[in-house]
Amino acid sequence: MILVNYLVAVALLCTGLYAVLTRRNMIKMVMGLSLMEAATYLFMISLAYRAGSTAPVLLDPPAGQTAQDLVHGNVADPVLQNFCLTAVVIGVAVTAVFLSVVVRIAQHYRTLDSGRVREMRG
Amino acid sequence: MTEPALASLLPLPVALPLCGAVAAPLLARCSRRLPVIFSLIALAGSAAVLLAAAPAVFRGTVIAHYLGHWTPVNGHVLGIALAADPFGLAFGLTVALVGAVLLLYSLSELGGLGSRELGGLACLFQLLLAALIGAALTADLFDLFVWFEVAALASYGLTGFFLERPLALEAAFKILVLTTLASFAVFVGAGLLYAGHGALNFAQLHNSLAGHAGTADTVALGLLVAGFATKAGLVPFHGWLADAHTAAPGPVSALFSGLMVNLGIVAIARLAFDVFGTASTPVLGLLMTLGLISALLGALMALAQDDLKRLLAYDTVSQIGIVAVGLATSRAPGVAGAAYHLVNHALFKSLLFLCAGAIVHRTGATKLSQMGGMARSMPVIAGAFILGALSIAGIPPLNGYVSLSLIHQDLLASHQAVPYALMLAAQVITVAALGRAAWLAFFRRPAQPVRPRERLRPGMLAGLAGLGGGCVVFGTAGPAVLRTLMAPAASGLLHASRYASGVLDGRARLGLTGVPFDYLSPGELISVAATVAVAAVLARGYLRSREPRLISWLRAIHTGSANDYAGYAMAGTLAVIAVLSLA
Repeated sequence: MILVNYLVAVALLCTGLYAVLTRRNMIKMVMGLSLMEAATYLFMISLAYRAGSTAPVLLDPPAGQTAQDLVHGNVADPVLQNFCLTAVVIGVAVTAVFLSVVVRIAQHYRTLDSGRVREMRG
Repeated sequence: MTEPALASLLPLPVALPLCGAVAAPLLARCSRRLPVIFSLIALAGSAAVLLAAAPAVFRGTVIAHYLGHWTPVNGHVLGIALAADPFGLAFGLTVALVGAVLLLYSLSELGGLGSRELGGLACLFQLLLAALIGAALTADLFDLFVWFEVAALASYGLTGFFLERPLALEAAFKILVLTTLASFAVFVGAGLLYAGHGALNFAQLHNSLAGHAGTADTVALGLLVAGFATKAGLVPFHGWLADAHTAAPGPVSALFSGLMVNLGIVAIARLAFDVFGTASTPVLGLLMTLGLISALLGALMALAQDDLKRLLAYDTVSQIGIVAVGLATSRAPGVAGAAYHLVNHALFKSLLFLCAGAIVHRTGATKLSQMGGMARSMPVIAGAFILGALSIAGIPPLNGYVSLSLIHQDLLASHQAVPYALMLAAQVITVAALGRAAWLAFFRRPAQPVRPRERLRPGMLAGLAGLGGGCVVFGTAGPAVLRTLMAPAASGLLHASRYASGVLDGRARLGLTGVPFDYLSPGELISVAATVAVAAVLARGYLRSREPRLISWLRAIHTGSANDYAGYAMAGTLAVIAVLSLA
């Protein structure tokens, strides 16, 4: 049972969301989004887990298990782990763009306060 | 060409612009304009492949291609499927053709940029177009997520393209926050569906979900709908949309509004019909509500804007709402009308944004209060703008008339009086908003005369002519377009089981439903005339009186703060999930 994984994922998600909704410092908002991202990864990896399963690296059956066990599907789901790998790569790119935009905003407006960077409204 | 040959060519429409995107920054080192010219060739290649597939697909065949030949085994899909069905192909073709026109226009308007900038622009443009074509053709949920992210990354780059403009940076920050939140929702939604059903392929998911959807499935659907609604700019997920359009250069706004926003609604349509079509979820009722709210709120906000591009951007919210309402009717005429309106929106909204861009290019004016009397000094732009505005207003024989009539008549025929009345109200406000903009920009006597400082270049003229011509052709040839393109597109969504077996074994054909349409029905013509008359009174009243309380309040809640917009989007996500799980 990996209930604790799900609980931690929810806690991380809520912490990140709290930062995004209430912090006006843009760097903190980016950090909040990164926390939420981490929560989604943890959630996905936990979904992939099966009781007593091994990692989906199928070169040799691990000690105490036969190839037959693996054929019967006693491995963690590799597809969801692949999801995470893809999303990690995308997440890195997005965070890089994010931070470069924040740096440029800081240079132009001389502030990191999202409440003061809102010329466009209404 | 035979169907297997076409199927094997299916990755090309995506691969060509992707290659062009990679090559663009390198080609920019040889010559300044080479990357844009090369991307036009790449897009022509994509369009050619899609056009070659069109005759078979629009006759009702679903052409499926499994990447790497990982074909399904006993209905279990191992590979990633690309499938061309009429609905996806209609969108894909629109993207390739309108995208090429927009590139031609940018080559002309932004042709004075340096080689680095032009290379970057061509790269991001093609990346976004490749992602949109990929999203139109894919039959795989995770693939859809990847195209969503590719489109998102390209759109961040394009929004903040002029990094030295503070407005562009502000807009880029907002679009980043909201789209990143949306991507989490889509990601978790896709993962939940996979964990529950062990499938990502639309067809396999459809078969697995048939008849019943568990709690995890409805939560997943809610997350996916909320995520894609952010891309589509449906209320309350629309905070980024107006800002991103205001700050970007003209052709980029046209690309966002005419094509990128449609990705969201195409994905929602796929999920609602082709994946969850028989799962008996209340997703269509939800779509109707979201659509009506977006149509009304977008139109009201458009009425109040002073910035021309911002006005058009809010109108996009309204138009996407209309498409959502059309989809939510779930009857052949309404869904065909929605598909038709999607293509029409790409044509007339791109045209209007190019006009706004051309006005900025020639005079530097962005706000309506700085414009006036430009019908005399810039007759071509004025003519193109009015053509676009009349198309949105649904004046026959322009294209908006056909799609709007289909949706309106279908709402009437299925006795949905309240949605019909709200749609008419939204239409009146939309016409008033555009009429007000056209009056202020082109006919009003200006305080000081606006003089164009730049000339209209040939590429810009070609862009305006191409899109304007599209508006006229799709309007006058309405019944033929409906019969050959849009009715099949509707059956791609409504016959979900046929779509599923088409993707899985490639043998089933979509049953094509005919959509009756009376081009000159007196009721519809009277309703159009009445709409325009009421709108004229409304626009006149709005110009003369103080701002109504409702509009002041709506403007006040669009605070411009990324925190608030994120809050609206999260509240919307929770509401969508709650409605889907509890209703």
